[in-house]
Amino acid sequence: MEKIDTALKTTILQHPERRYIMFGGKGGLGKTTFSAATAYWLASQGKKVLVFSVDPQASLSDIFQRDIFGKGPVKILENLWAQEIDADQHIKQYQGEIRQKILDMYGFESVPEEIEQYIQAASAEPAMEESAIFDAVVDVVVRGDYDYYIYDLVPLGHALYYLSMAKVYDEWITKITRLREEMAEYQGMVSRMKREKETEEDQILTELQDIRSRINTSARILTDREKTAFFFVLIPEEMILLDTLKAAGMFAKFNVPVSGYVVNRVVPHELLQQDIPAYLRNRIQMQDRYLAQIDRTFGSQVLARVPELERDVSGTEMIERLAGIMYGQDGS
Amino acid sequence: MDQKPEPKEEKKGFLRSMQEIIYGMASHDMSRYALRTRASMEHLFILITMGDMIGVPILPPYYSLRLLPYVVPQISTWKRRLLREKDVSDAMF
Repeated sequence: MEKIDTALKTTILQHPERRYIMFGGKGGLGKTTFSAATAYWLASQGKKVLVFSVDPQASLSDIFQRDIFGKGPVKILENLWAQEIDADQHIKQYQGEIRQKILDMYGFESVPEEIEQYIQAASAEPAMEESAIFDAVVDVVVRGDYDYYIYDLVPLGHALYYLSMAKVYDEWITKITRLREEMAEYQGMVSRMKREKETEEDQILTELQDIRSRINTSARILTDREKTAFFFVLIPEEMILLDTLKAAGMFAKFNVPVSGYVVNRVVPHELLQQDIPAYLRNRIQMQDRYLAQIDRTFGSQVLARVPELERDVSGTEMIERLAGIMYGQDGS
Repeated sequence: MDQKPEPKEEKKGFLRSMQEIIYGMASHDMSRYALRTRASMEHLFILITMGDMIGVPILPPYYSLRLLPYVVPQISTWKRRLLREKDVSDAMF
C-alpha cells in the first residue's frame, strides 16, 4: 500500500550541491514531518545533516520527542542533528553584548539610563524576534559544519516576510552606508586641510558592511538556484491548491527557485477495494479530482504523493517509516 | 661664518609661517564649513539609525542596537539639536 515514489529522491540525489533543503507551505500540512523524514534519510545515507527550525513555535522537539529548544544543535541519531532557535534567548544575549561593548568602549560603570531605556524599548519591537532569528540562522549556516541543512520553515507568509525584509534592510543599509562614506570624505577633507593625520577607520562603516553581508547571506541562500532546493508541500484540497499557486507566484517574484511539489495526506486508493463508508469514498473521489488538477497544473514538478498514515508522525520509528515511504524502504 | 645659518633658518621659519597664514586664510573657512556639514550628517545618521528613540522607526531595531555603542556620546547633543526650534549656529554664522 505504501508506494515508493522516487522522483523526490532522484531530484535530491541528482543535485548533491543543493545543500540547503527547505519545505515550505501553509501551516499544518507536514513541513516539519517532511523535514524530519528527509533529514533522517540523508543521515542514513551517511551525510551529516542539521535540521533546524526558525519558527518561534517550532515543533522539532515534538517530532523527535526530545526537548531541544534553545539548546543549540542536539544530536538525535548518528549523523543527524536538530536545532530549534530560541529567539528570546538570542535577543537577551545580544543585548548583553551591546551593553558590555558600551561599558568597555567608554569605561562606564553602568549603561546610561537613556541608552538603557532604548535598549529595552528596541527589544520589545515586534520585528526584533524575526530579525534575531534571521541573524541566528546566518551563524548556523555560515559555519558550514554539515553536508546538508534542512530548514523547517515557518509558514509561507513568514518566509515571504523574511525575503522582503532582507530586501528592504539591504536597501536601507546601502543608503546609510553611502551617507557614512560621505561623512568619512568630509572628515578626510578636514583632516587634510588641517594637515592632521588621516583619521582611523570608521568602525560604524565596518559594522554596517558586516550587517549587510549577514542579511545578504541569509537571503542569498533562500534564492540560490545552485545550492538550494525548495519544495512546496500541499494537500489535495481546493483552498490549499489555490494558496500554493498564489504563493508560488510570490516566491517567483523573489527569485526563490522552486524545485518541486510534494503532495501530502493522500488517502490510499487501495481502500476503495474494501468496504468503506461513503464518507471516506467521497473524500477519495474529491482528492482524485484535485490530484488530477495538481498534476495538470504542476506537471512533472510533482515529485511525490505521500499517503495519509493511520497515525501521526512523531518519534524515530514513525520518522523512519515515513522516510521509507518517501525515499525507499531499503534505505538505499 | 657662524652667523650664516641663522638668517637662513629665520627665513625658513618666516616662510613657513607665511605659508601657514595663507593656508589658514584659504582653508579655515572651508574646513569649518566641512566640519559643520559633517556634524549635520552625523545628526542625520543618528536620526536614521536611532530614530526609534524619538519615535521615528527607520532602521530595524535589531541592527540599530549594533550601532548604538558608537553613537552613545552623540546621543544627547543630537536630541538637544532636534529639540531646538532654531539652530543657534544659524544666527552666529
